[in-house]
Amino acid sequence: MATLAQPDLTNEPKRPNIAKAGLQLPAVKDYAQVDREIMATLRPTKAWFTLLMASMTCLAIGAASWIYQIYAGLGVAGYSPPVMWGVYIITFVFWIGIGHAGTLISAILYLFRAGFRTTIYRCAEAMTVFAVMTAGLFPIIHIGRPWKFFWLIPYPNWRLLWPNFKSPLVWDVFAISTYLTISVTFLFIGLLPDIATLRDAEKNPMKKQLLSILSFGWRNSENEWRHFARAYLFLAAFSTPLVLSVHSVVSFDFSMALVPGWHTTIFAPYFVAGAIFSGMGMVFTIIIPIRKYFKLEHYVTLNVMDAGAKLTLFTSMVVGCAYLVEFFIAWYSGVQVEQDYFWNRVFGQWWYAAWIMLTCNMILPLSLFSQKLRRNPAWLFVLSLFINIGMWYERFVIIVPGLSHEFVPWQWSGYRPTFIDMGILIGSFGWFFMWFLLFIKQLPVIAIAEVKEIVPPRLRRAASSASHGGGH
Amino acid sequence: MAQGMLGAFLEIDAACDAIAELKKQNVGKITVFTPTPRHEFENALQPPKSPVRRYTLVGALSGAIFGYWIAIWGSNYWPMVVGGKAISSWIPYTIFSFELMVLVGGLSTVAGLFIHSRIPRLTMTVGYDPRFSGSYYGVWVECLPERLKDAETILRDAGAEEVRGEQ
Repeated sequence: MATLAQPDLTNEPKRPNIAKAGLQLPAVKDYAQVDREIMATLRPTKAWFTLLMASMTCLAIGAASWIYQIYAGLGVAGYSPPVMWGVYIITFVFWIGIGHAGTLISAILYLFRAGFRTTIYRCAEAMTVFAVMTAGLFPIIHIGRPWKFFWLIPYPNWRLLWPNFKSPLVWDVFAISTYLTISVTFLFIGLLPDIATLRDAEKNPMKKQLLSILSFGWRNSENEWRHFARAYLFLAAFSTPLVLSVHSVVSFDFSMALVPGWHTTIFAPYFVAGAIFSGMGMVFTIIIPIRKYFKLEHYVTLNVMDAGAKLTLFTSMVVGCAYLVEFFIAWYSGVQVEQDYFWNRVFGQWWYAAWIMLTCNMILPLSLFSQKLRRNPAWLFVLSLFINIGMWYERFVIIVPGLSHEFVPWQWSGYRPTFIDMGILIGSFGWFFMWFLLFIKQLPVIAIAEVKEIVPPRLRRAASSASHGGGH
Repeated sequence: MAQGMLGAFLEIDAACDAIAELKKQNVGKITVFTPTPRHEFENALQPPKSPVRRYTLVGALSGAIFGYWIAIWGSNYWPMVVGGKAISSWIPYTIFSFELMVLVGGLSTVAGLFIHSRIPRLTMTVGYDPRFSGSYYGVWVECLPERLKDAETILRDAGAEEVRGEQ
């Protein structure tokens, strides 16, 4: 780490909070510095091994819990009729939501030419892929008999499990598998030039050979870049509506059902905003320690954090507005069961979950109106942890109270997650962070080629005038 | 067999000057290597528009049609009859159409990128240097043996750090 240059903040503008279209990296001087500093993050360190071990321990807890559940049956998972969707579906929606910020940052902000995405999008894209991979496990865990998971795949067969193309669960299969495929493609295509850079810098012949295969023989020719830029633009254009559609389709899993609190048209935009909000929370959770530990403050600058915090604040306000509008809809509908459900949510048996949700997602993010806090990485990190907790509880508040307080009193019940549920929840974090940690030691966590685009290229005129003692 | 002259430049304007001169004297086929996409090279080379967009269009349309078709065909072949409801309903089937439009459109865009960039490439061709993914810009001129000297002179005069012949 000693080779890493310290950020030179002397050139920071005096009013750094003024929004700019482009990202400025005054402490990054040339291409060689970009290569050297970003590639330095690939060296394994003790802290990395420690975190990897911690993640794998969490994963082992999750795996042990799942094995026990397979052995003992789904009854150990804390379900009690009529609450038959619990921690697994909550965690499924949570991870799908986390997966949304990656594509938002890489695709939507790319189309909007928001420069601040440049140094954080790789992290966010990788986070998307691993979050969707994590989410994909939960329907399999939830069905109880995972060896029959292929029954979830909608294909006509002779067991009379015919696909119902009007079911939101089938829409979900199509939406999420498309999202995973496009996210992986987007990540990999963006990585190609950087893998080529690693290949060209690699000394170990075995690793060089492997990187040559992975880079597909990319040579950085102008012809390749021309097609690359066009393909990247179209992938971004496809991914943008895809982000909006996937969580809308996930919301249809709920809103197509006649459960109190679920059957509402606000769910699609509400879920999309919530997904982007939770994804931004996880981006901060990941990027702030990376930025600090690898001394990348001059790449992920305070301006980048500030812009990300503003996006978080905006999505928090959209989510907060949706929370309040839900209460208005219940009151205005005049439907007794709907009103009872919302009263029960805030002042009844689920008050603790609702207030955790409201505090973490609606109240605490209001602190981001303060510029000082938006530019304070320590506060942003703490806030991001609250957002992660709050967004998990948001899904809890949506799913459990609705199922536990339906139309007639015999359908009223409680729900208590068991150690098995919690073990699998912990395991999901272990699984996610294990992949992420493995990723950041194999491939660059900041896009080398895109950062080089920001760095002013070396000019002969400037070089010759400098050699003759002239200024500019 | 490809034969030509390769120049490695540290300065982008020097590389652009070399390209302009090579084009002016019509020395041979020019390939530029750059660690990051730069508009300066696009302006110097004036390449045609990338045809990748055609792959995107064809893929997206095929995906959209296939999405509707698979849902309608599946519903009609294995009908789930519910009284008062259509067996095939185009409104929910738009979701399949949209998702497959994105999926097939996205994958065909990548196919277009691979086809026109000629990747995957199993061996690195002549006229490449590992420095071109680092700090250097490369200009490779593929030309007849009698024009090699002209190419070398132009690259050196423009300010190349290193010029070498390759075949």
